[in-house]
Amino acid sequence: MTSSLWDKVEPLLGQVERPTRYIDSEWGVRRTAGIAYRAALLYPDTYEIGMANQAIGILYDRLNTLDGVAAERVYLPWSDMSSLMRARDIPLFTLETCTPVAGCDLLGITLPYELSYTNILEALDLAGLALRASDRGDGDPLVIAGGPCAYNPEPIADFLDAVLIGEGEEAVLDIVEAHRLARAAGKTRAQTLADLAQIPGVYVPSLYHDPDASGTLRPVPGSIVAAVVSKRVLADLDEYRAPICPVVPFMDVVHDRATVEVLRGCTRGCRFCQAGMVYRPVRERHADSIVRDAVAVLSCSGYDEVSLTSLSTTDHSQLEDVLRRLTRRFEGKGISISVPSLRVDAFSVSMARLVSASGRKSGLTFAPEAGSQRLRDVINKNVTEEELLDTTRAAFEAGWRRVKLYFMLGLPTETDDDVRGIATLAGKVLAVAREATPPAQRGSVKVAVSVSTFVPKAHTPFQFDGQIPRDEVLRRQQELRSVMPRKGVDLSWHDAEVSFLEAVMARGGREVSRAIEAAWRAGASFDAWTERFSLPRWLAAFEQTGIDPDAIAGRVFDESDPVPWGHLSAGVTLAYLWKERQRALRGETTADCSFDACTGCGVCGSAGLGVDIVLGGDRHGSR
Amino acid sequence: MAPGEFRLRICYAKSGRLRFLSHLEVVHALERGARRADLPYAVTRGFNPHMKMAFGPALPVGTAGQREYFDLWMVRYLPAEEPLQRLAAAMPPGLAPSEAVYVSDALPSLSAACTVARYEVRFEGRDVEQAALEEALGAVIRTGELAVEHKGKAKVYDLRRSLPKEPRIESNEIGIVVELTTRMGQEGSLRPESLLSEALSRIGARNAVMTVTRTDTLVEDEGAFARPM
Repeated sequence: MTSSLWDKVEPLLGQVERPTRYIDSEWGVRRTAGIAYRAALLYPDTYEIGMANQAIGILYDRLNTLDGVAAERVYLPWSDMSSLMRARDIPLFTLETCTPVAGCDLLGITLPYELSYTNILEALDLAGLALRASDRGDGDPLVIAGGPCAYNPEPIADFLDAVLIGEGEEAVLDIVEAHRLARAAGKTRAQTLADLAQIPGVYVPSLYHDPDASGTLRPVPGSIVAAVVSKRVLADLDEYRAPICPVVPFMDVVHDRATVEVLRGCTRGCRFCQAGMVYRPVRERHADSIVRDAVAVLSCSGYDEVSLTSLSTTDHSQLEDVLRRLTRRFEGKGISISVPSLRVDAFSVSMARLVSASGRKSGLTFAPEAGSQRLRDVINKNVTEEELLDTTRAAFEAGWRRVKLYFMLGLPTETDDDVRGIATLAGKVLAVAREATPPAQRGSVKVAVSVSTFVPKAHTPFQFDGQIPRDEVLRRQQELRSVMPRKGVDLSWHDAEVSFLEAVMARGGREVSRAIEAAWRAGASFDAWTERFSLPRWLAAFEQTGIDPDAIAGRVFDESDPVPWGHLSAGVTLAYLWKERQRALRGETTADCSFDACTGCGVCGSAGLGVDIVLGGDRHGSR
Repeated sequence: MAPGEFRLRICYAKSGRLRFLSHLEVVHALERGARRADLPYAVTRGFNPHMKMAFGPALPVGTAGQREYFDLWMVRYLPAEEPLQRLAAAMPPGLAPSEAVYVSDALPSLSAACTVARYEVRFEGRDVEQAALEEALGAVIRTGELAVEHKGKAKVYDLRRSLPKEPRIESNEIGIVVELTTRMGQEGSLRPESLLSEALSRIGARNAVMTVTRTDTLVEDEGAFARPM
């Protein structure tokens, strides 16, 4: 289908990098003209980054099955394209029917990471929409966001009409239904938003304020909304079939493979991990559904690889059964299966062996996160040095030659001993790896060490802790660099300046929106792209808007202190988070409730979410 | 070819919006199409097994093709019509296969065999005048060579070798159509855009918008040009 807008877009494609980003027409697209309700689903980054997002894939699939509804994809054009579009008055458009986003009924935005916030403003502006929700009118699309960053949406709350907290499978249908009903009844934008606020999991920022500047957001007088908005969560993943005919990109995109989500949630209880807290409880998909969907998605998409995704795939109680069935099924077809998120144990190595029997052994990745047992106990990362070394030995004996280790700097209570412990541990891993490798092949043994800076996240036991100052991060990096073995170890860093901005965005309140807007006006966008990120530009924006970013990133909260996300609940209680934080300071670990007894986080039962752990069998392997 | 494999040659088009695909993107798309069609494709042996297929000369981003080719090795014989129809049902319209025949495995690869290309270059509107373009193009060709800079590298084309046939220029109600026949191969593959840009710059129309389509990919045999199937 062509539209008049496409006729203006097409002549630009010979002048831009990677025109494939803009041409749509992939296998699996749903194009429906003449539809009564059109939803634009925006991933606030380029096509090749956004196409990997499974949430958009699920929502695209769900919404397009609704009668009279079309969901279409929108990605942020790269700067060469957006400059041409602005020069020719071409607004941001959907891929499928090349409809201006401003002409859609709903603009759904996924919030994948904090550094995408300026891209949201860029998208709104390119679409010709007012940046602030309060400036948008009855004819404008509803702008609704969701995704990981929705658990503290305050820094961008003023730009959004509504935010969905939690899982979208059911909630998007409720939202579209409520919007259609409101429209049929001729309601105003404000009335429509009041209706949306009645849907479980939907947070309408304009209905909450902080009248006494206490830091606690409360419902505005006269609005009938919950004082605390609880997340939406599915009771049973098997009730929702994963998308089996996804859009298959032409372009080489990140994670260019079919995916089947095998389980949701993780209760290992790592105290720094937001995903592990907010996606509770653990819900496994049954082995039969996983095998059925993996076969179906490969046959419908034509991919040569399927990834069994989750926060911790080796935790799935039926993983071995699933992998045996799938490898048998795909034998001799050049199809590979990938298992991300390996645990540090022998079971994980044997599972990795199973799927790589016919293919190549690219490298294994493990995340000890901290360099000393003391600090690993503090963060509840239940991995011992012995386990890591045993796992390394098993992997190198099985033929792997590269291992990647993830660590964090700046975790609560960290000392220089812990920092140097990273180097010691990496050195031991290297020695074991070499020992387990035949002498002639030892030259190819590599240990990659990737070190990021801890970002305290909302709804985690470490939400109370601050991030260490940037200077201190740099000093600890230097300390680590000075003791890290050079030969055989590749050391890389996640930029400390980037982590600092992430912390400000992750922990800030509504006031931060002014700085985001100022930074965008000064030219910030694509902040997640190293070559585009500029801390000085951000610091100037904070200064200009009177916001102290160091205070936000470094702020320490007491149990009773209001936090900017206090009116939002992921189901995990504040009392549990505080208790876990106290246990952390005492170096006490907490067991995984999917292997062991309930730890009382509050998600199952009392929070009224109506959910419980769903397992396909007994979990095994190390805990 | 391993015993028991069948080499199927497939002709397909690259058209419409999909002309903006890169060669690698086309390769991946057809590979995925062959899997969706559940064709009994052969898989290479080795470290990283993949579908056994081989393509003719690459088309650049933005250039359409009417008769492009690839060979697919299959482990089971099916009447050629069947894989063709199954593949057609599994490909988006802009990359539709049109013909399929089995060819001998003794034949050289498509990339080595296809040494001549026919192009159709369209200029829409009235920005470019036929007579002026004809004269300018003739003048460029008479110089005998063309220096082209591509991705920072300078290359000089011998136009007598690169242009085995005289270009033809026609006008119609939409604009001007130039028909070019060029040689491809180790010594270089002259792009129609390079030749025409040089001619256009001589008549002050360097920015004229052209749409390039490769209409045929040909095998040269003792001076005659033939399709590879």
